[in-house]
Amino acid sequence: MKFFGGALLLAIVAAPPTLAAQQDVSTRLGGRVPPAIAALVQQLANSAAAHGLPVDPLIQKAIEGSAKGVPADRVAIALRALAGQLDAAATDLREAGPGQPDTDAIAAGAFALNAGLSNRQVTTLATASRPPYSVAATLRVTSTLAAMGVPAANAVDLVTQVIASGGATTEVLGLPAQVMAGVSQGHGVTPAQAAAGLARAAAARAAAPGQSRPHPGKP
Amino acid sequence: MSAKDFHPQVKQLLDGELTVADLPPELRAEGEAALRILAAVDREPVTFPALETRVMAQLRRRAQAPRPGFWGRLRLRPWTLVPAFAAGAALALLLFRPITTPTASPVTVRFVLFAPDAHQVSLAGTFNQWDPAATPLVRTGTGVWSATLMLPAGQHQYAFVVDGARWVADPGAPAVDDGFGRRNSVLSL
Repeated sequence: MKFFGGALLLAIVAAPPTLAAQQDVSTRLGGRVPPAIAALVQQLANSAAAHGLPVDPLIQKAIEGSAKGVPADRVAIALRALAGQLDAAATDLREAGPGQPDTDAIAAGAFALNAGLSNRQVTTLATASRPPYSVAATLRVTSTLAAMGVPAANAVDLVTQVIASGGATTEVLGLPAQVMAGVSQGHGVTPAQAAAGLARAAAARAAAPGQSRPHPGKP
Repeated sequence: MSAKDFHPQVKQLLDGELTVADLPPELRAEGEAALRILAAVDREPVTFPALETRVMAQLRRRAQAPRPGFWGRLRLRPWTLVPAFAAGAALALLLFRPITTPTASPVTVRFVLFAPDAHQVSLAGTFNQWDPAATPLVRTGTGVWSATLMLPAGQHQYAFVVDGARWVADPGAPAVDDGFGRRNSVLSL
């Protein structure tokens, strides 16, 4: 009886998460993708979940491809590439410090790689983003800057300079809007030039006497 | 210059089919001017302080209300909770999987596309499961289509769907490769 109880408990602990994950993926796909793509998403999602990677981006990409009428073989290539980016992002984040990175940060890291950042740049940003800065938010801001046309190295430089200068988290989040404002207000100013100007200002602020990393409670 | 006076290539720029660099030199100034017009449309996040105030007032009222004792609130004997805790633990194990929970308030965002020749425009993205039928835009008199949405904080990718078939990146927003040879617009909140 004790053995049966133990086996039952083990079955509850071990099996259902996989079953629940399968049901979740199937429900989320909701018949919106061809069976072959659904099977591939399920396979990639099981592997991702087992490694602590987010599953949602894979589901979204499959649905996106089908909604856009992309052929199944092209969707499959994109899904495998995305799975690779999620795995690479997790590795990059683990290099920044101990502990398993959260799924939000991993998804943001994969997006950053897709936006043109290198693995080393993802690690650099994660290393710089100690509390109160969020790793996921920092990665999203930097990749948005890259998507705006700021070269990846300049985008990383700008964000790390603002953090080093003790800028508030809201200042980091507002960097894309600041760059856009610089482009629209200046005559022929490129996103790279606008970002470089902001980075110089942050570096000057960081070099000012008494300037240091922000207090953890600083918004 | 009215909206319909733009050069056809400038209209393609506004539709996201061309970039400023793709335009012939003599059209670049017109293209940049057109983009500035669209960029001037308010895309800034909007918050609702009145709503926040009401929510906080409600929370304070609840916090100040007299509270019965723990077991009085539950109206249960402690030993009756043992099976409940066991069931709860089993349920947690059943349902456990990595999830991310948005913590910030939703943000109101207005999406705009200049498409004077379109008959129908909608919005599809990560926030509506890429469903082109989920979020139609409303046409104004000048060929500008718009929609206002409440979105959770975070990063969203999206595209406009023109006449149900043509997927168009937002010319006023950053964009990334979508993995299928096209571009998705990016919105960070």
